[in-house]
Amino acid sequence: MSLPEEPGGATDRGADPAYSWRRPELVLALVVLALGAFVIVGTADVTAAGSTFGLGPRFFPIIVGSALLLIGLFYVLDVVRGGRGDPEQAEDADTDAPADWRTVVLVSVIFLAFAGLLDLLGWIIAGALLFFGLSVTLGAEHRLRAGVVAVVLSTLTYLAFVKGLGVTLPAGLLSGVI
Amino acid sequence: MDSFQLLMEGFATALTPINLIYALIGVTLGTLVGVLPGIGPAMTVALLLPITFSVPPASAFIMFAGIYYGGMYGGSTTSILLNTPGESSSMITALEGNKMAKRGRAAQALATAAIGSFVAGTIATGLLVVAAPLVVDFAISFGPEDYFALAILAFTAVSSVLSRSVVRGLASLGVGLVIGLIGIDQQTGQARLTMGVPQLLDGIDVVIVAVGLFALGEVLYVASRLRHGEPEVVPVGRPFLGRSDWSRSWRPWLRGTALGFPFGALPGGGAEIPTFLSYTVEKKLARGVTREEFGKGAIEGVAGPEAANNASAAGTLVPLLTLGLPTSATAAILLAAFQQYGLQPGPQLFDHNPALVWGMIASLFIGNTMLLVLNLPLAPLWARVLHIPRPYLYSGIVLFAALGVYALNSSWVDMVILYVLGVLGFAMRRFGLPIAPAVIGLILGPMAEVQLRRALAIGAGDVTVLVRSPMAAVLLAVALLALFAPLIRKLAARRITG
Repeated sequence: MSLPEEPGGATDRGADPAYSWRRPELVLALVVLALGAFVIVGTADVTAAGSTFGLGPRFFPIIVGSALLLIGLFYVLDVVRGGRGDPEQAEDADTDAPADWRTVVLVSVIFLAFAGLLDLLGWIIAGALLFFGLSVTLGAEHRLRAGVVAVVLSTLTYLAFVKGLGVTLPAGLLSGVI
Repeated sequence: MDSFQLLMEGFATALTPINLIYALIGVTLGTLVGVLPGIGPAMTVALLLPITFSVPPASAFIMFAGIYYGGMYGGSTTSILLNTPGESSSMITALEGNKMAKRGRAAQALATAAIGSFVAGTIATGLLVVAAPLVVDFAISFGPEDYFALAILAFTAVSSVLSRSVVRGLASLGVGLVIGLIGIDQQTGQARLTMGVPQLLDGIDVVIVAVGLFALGEVLYVASRLRHGEPEVVPVGRPFLGRSDWSRSWRPWLRGTALGFPFGALPGGGAEIPTFLSYTVEKKLARGVTREEFGKGAIEGVAGPEAANNASAAGTLVPLLTLGLPTSATAAILLAAFQQYGLQPGPQLFDHNPALVWGMIASLFIGNTMLLVLNLPLAPLWARVLHIPRPYLYSGIVLFAALGVYALNSSWVDMVILYVLGVLGFAMRRFGLPIAPAVIGLILGPMAEVQLRRALAIGAGDVTVLVRSPMAAVLLAVALLALFAPLIRKLAARRITG
């Protein structure tokens, strides 16, 4: 793991480097804090006069925003003082392995490219490319097999959901063919 | 008996051939998806939501009942045969279950899990039939302040119970509440937090949030630290129980049921606490050889927690159906499914849609029986599912996640939102923020707001209206207690040590 290792879990504040501003989790804590500010500032333009008791559409957001500012503050303090959450257990994730950012970025790029090209290419082509790209990125050994699985899966889901269940999926380039 | 009659009518709805087929599809898909590593019951329900879009409501909920129970069954197979459970509720099953499997007793472990789930599910669904009408009678007099207090209790309980760190649970809850604020205010028609994006006016669909946080978040997380090499799956034949296994299993099943149902029905109770308690109880009660076996694969340690797990799933349905109060992430997604059909669970649902509610409850009994019949002979087949190469598995999860989200509005903007939520889910996993509070905050937040504004409007601006009903006062007090209990415990511990 790239962050300084500390024994124990969330509530432990061991004798280890107690106060530090250099923790990756701080980013998340600051996002929470910023979200609180965003709710309060972002609803400033909501002006409808509700009832006379100040219960307009800004009433609840201000409560949520203030609460979030408070929570964010405590969260930042906790992180700075060395508190740490337990990374989630998952079947296929090795929590002791160092983070593999290259794979994460590649997965992200493939997914966003899929999102952008889906309407143009259609579900079958875009879906097959998405599956193929991701499985190769995640370590599929036989590219040919991955390609075949990708095409079969995207075609089958298209047929099952569009023809069978009446769900709308884009036909894209293949609109005349299928 | 009134509810007995309604239940019989429910069976009449659920036992029509077409609905039986929907139930069968539901349990099969639920088990299949639930067996897949990396997919818990909540994600199973979220991913399978789009399948029900074109189905009439009564049939859709019969299918959902099957998916819900099927997902639980599937999860236990995974944790017994593959020693790295993803969901916290089946973590306990893996403790003894996987050790049994490694000692060559996989067939018995699966059998006690399946039969125990059947016994617990059937008894707990029976308790649901008895409890639901009682809660409905009680809840019919609830005012807006009571509902607001209930929501607050659900918020604090789920945030402080599910996480070892209360501040992280609350942060997750807050994120969910903010997402719930986005869109047009239901009462005044004002747009809030939409940042000028027209697609956000209707708010962010719960399905996108659930699929993003659970499915895409999980894939990104796994991608960041993929375990390389073949996972070790214990081979298994057809599950069966010997005579001594039966006599060692039936008491833990019943004890597990007794623990699971009430905890499932409580806000923040969920399945984690009762499965853990059941394990502890069985370990304490063990004598002689059994005691030695604990830690090396004792059948009691599988039978009890599995029963508790399934009983709590039925327990969760009590507050969900009668009050519209989800107490787990899975329940929150079920609630979203109801809302998609324009239905609001609560006392009125039992009045206005008895056929739907009782049909769903009846199909829980049917689905449970189907699962027992399906799972005992099909276990070797499910075990084979565990061998799916991981690159295909996670690519498939993303493909279906995209499919489910695109099916909602056919919009690429939703896909971008899905990705952003996936990154959020990734960060939450990495830093140990529980996901359930976010999903519950998202779905209960708007309800809490409506009830709060309604209560304050009735009270003409007087804030004490929120605690005027004794019910609301008690609920809010318990909510505060749930929030500060970990803090008080810590202070007490510090005083003792210091």
